Amino acid sequence: MVGLSVGEKHFIQGGIAQDLRSDGRKRLTYRPIYVETGVIPQAHGSARVRLGATDVIASVKAELGKPSALQPDKGNIAIYVDCSPTAAPMFEVGRGGEELSTELSVALQRCLLGGKSGAGAGIDPTSLVVVEGKVCWDLYIDGLVISSDGNLLDALAAAIKAALSNTGIPKVDVAADATSDEQPEVNISDEEFLQFDTSGIPVIVTLTKVGRHYIVDATSEEESQMSSAVSISVNRKGHICGLMKRGGVGLDPSIILDMISVAKHVSEQLINKLDSEIAAAEASEEES
Amino acid sequence: MRGLQLPLSQTQRIRLQRALEKLQSLSCKANSDASVTVADTIPVNYEDAFLKGHGTTDLNGDLVATLCGVVERINKLVYVRALRARYKPEVGDIVVGRVVEVSQKRWRLEINFSLDAILMLSSMNMPDGIQRRRTALDELNMRCIFEENDVVCAEVRNFQHDGSLQLQARSQKYGKLEKGQLLIVDPYLVKKSKQHFHHLEQFGIDLILGRNGFIWVGEHVEARDSMVVDQANSSEQSRVPEEKNQTHTPLEMRQNICRIANAVRVLSTLGFSIDADLILETVELSSTVKIDIHDMLGSEFHVLVAEREPERRSLMGKRKR
Repeated sequence: MVGLSVGEKHFIQGGIAQDLRSDGRKRLTYRPIYVETGVIPQAHGSARVRLGATDVIASVKAELGKPSALQPDKGNIAIYVDCSPTAAPMFEVGRGGEELSTELSVALQRCLLGGKSGAGAGIDPTSLVVVEGKVCWDLYIDGLVISSDGNLLDALAAAIKAALSNTGIPKVDVAADATSDEQPEVNISDEEFLQFDTSGIPVIVTLTKVGRHYIVDATSEEESQMSSAVSISVNRKGHICGLMKRGGVGLDPSIILDMISVAKHVSEQLINKLDSEIAAAEASEEES
Repeated sequence: MRGLQLPLSQTQRIRLQRALEKLQSLSCKANSDASVTVADTIPVNYEDAFLKGHGTTDLNGDLVATLCGVVERINKLVYVRALRARYKPEVGDIVVGRVVEVSQKRWRLEINFSLDAILMLSSMNMPDGIQRRRTALDELNMRCIFEENDVVCAEVRNFQHDGSLQLQARSQKYGKLEKGQLLIVDPYLVKKSKQHFHHLEQFGIDLILGRNGFIWVGEHVEARDSMVVDQANSSEQSRVPEEKNQTHTPLEMRQNICRIANAVRVLSTLGFSIDADLILETVELSSTVKIDIHDMLGSEFHVLVAEREPERRSLMGKRKR
C-alpha cells in the first residue's frame, strides 16, 4: 500500500471527525455496490461484486460426497478465500497474502457456517443431503480478491450471498432399490435445478474505528488509519450471526455494544440494497 | 471507451451512448484518419525520405503501426503516439510526487514514471531562505524539510544521461503539500497548459494539476512563508501533534474540497481531459442540480456530465470563431 503523508492522514482523520469523508460520504454510507451474477459459467453459481475499487468474485461448486459420520443428515460446506497477487503487491506468495486469505476464510466460515454442530448457520446444511448417511452435496465456495481497496470482508460476504442466489443444484434421482449397505445409484439430472433459499444468509458489516468515530466501508487509505475494526454479521431478522475484532487497540465493552447496534441499523439498508442489486443482476443475466 | 464500471439503468445507458456519439462527431474530423491501430498501414509518400520513429515498423515494404494511437509527423519523422501511455516528462513540466526515499543529498520521488525522479538538496530552497552552500549539517537535517511519504510539488529540470529525471523546487510556489487530498488519474488526461497552479478564490482552495496524473486538491496556503522559519522552531512544531488536532479544516472548505475531488474523479472515469475550467463547470453543475457530494459518484451525475460535454465543446468552438 502506498504510504500517506502526515498532512494527508490528518486530513482523513479530520474528515471522519466532521462526518465528511474524502469522497463526500457520511460515516455510515456505503460506496455504490455493483453486482454481476453468472460470471463463471462452469461453476454452479458465481457472482462478482464491486464496491468502489474493491473487486471480488465468488463461485460455488457442488459435488456429490459422503456426509460425516457424526452428522449424517447434513451436507458439507467449505469456504475458502484466495487473494490474487494482482490485487496488491503485498498479496504475493510469502509476503502475507496467505495470512490475509486464512483470516478472511475463517471469518467467513464463522459468520456463515455457524458452530461445529452446524447450529445457527446462515446456509442450511440439511437441505444439501440426498440420501441420509450415504450421499450428500459438498459445496465448495471460493472467493477471489481481484482488486483491493478496503472492506474485503463485506464485499466477499455480499459476493457469496449473490453467488448462492445464483446457484442451481442439479436434481438427483436416487435408485429406489438400494440396500442399506451399498452406495445407492444416483442419477444427476442435467436439466432441472433447485435454487437455494438465500433469505437466511447474513451480510457482514465492518465498522472501522478511527479516532473517536466509526465508519462503515473504509477505503484502504482510511483502513491504514484505523485503531481497530469490528466485523458483525447480521441476518435479515436482525440477529447477530458472527462477530470478529481486528486491530491492536483495546475497546471498551460499551463501545462494542454501541457498534453492534449501529451495525444492526446499517445492515437493514444494506440487505435491502443488496437484494435489489442481486435481483437486477439476475434479471439482466437472463436477458443476455 | 473503457467499460464504465457503473450500474447504469437502461435509459442511462442510452443517454450516455448518445452523448458520446455526439462528442465523437464533434471531434476534429481531420484527425480521424490519423488514428491507427496495431498493424494498420501508415499512409506515407514512399518517395520522400522519411525517418521511421517509435511505434512503427517496416513490414513487407510497408510502414505499419505497432501501437494503437495517433500518427504524428514532425518534419521527416513519422511516429505513432500512443494515447494511454505512461507519463512522458518534458523539461519544465510541473509534477506532483511522493517522497519514497531520503538519501545522500537528494530525495527520491515517485511520479508515475518508469523511474523515480530525483530532487537534489541543492535544487531546493533552504528553510532560512539564504542562498548558501549546503553543508553537512543541512544534509543531516534533510528530514526536517521532506520525510518519506510526503507529497511534493516540483518542476522538471532536466534528464540525466541514464534516463532518470531531475526535479527542482526553487520557487516559492513549489514544496510540500499538506491539508488536502491527492488524486491519481491517467497522465494523458492532463494536457500541457499555461497554468497548472490554480488558486480557486471563491472556495479558497489550491488545485494543482500535475502533468504526471497526480492532482492535488487542498486548502490554500500562502506562498511558503512558513519555510522562512528557524530550523529549530520547525523541528519543534512537527513534534507537537496536539496543536494540529485543534486546527482541522473547516467544514465548508472540506465540502468544497470533496466536491472538487469528486468532479475530478467523475471526469477521469469518463475519460475527459481535465483542466480547471471543466472542473469548475462540473462543480457548478453539481450545485445547480443540488446533488449530494457523495451522489456525484453515482451513475446519474456521470450521465449528466457526459451530456453537458458536447454542448460545452460546441459553445467553445463557436467562441473561438
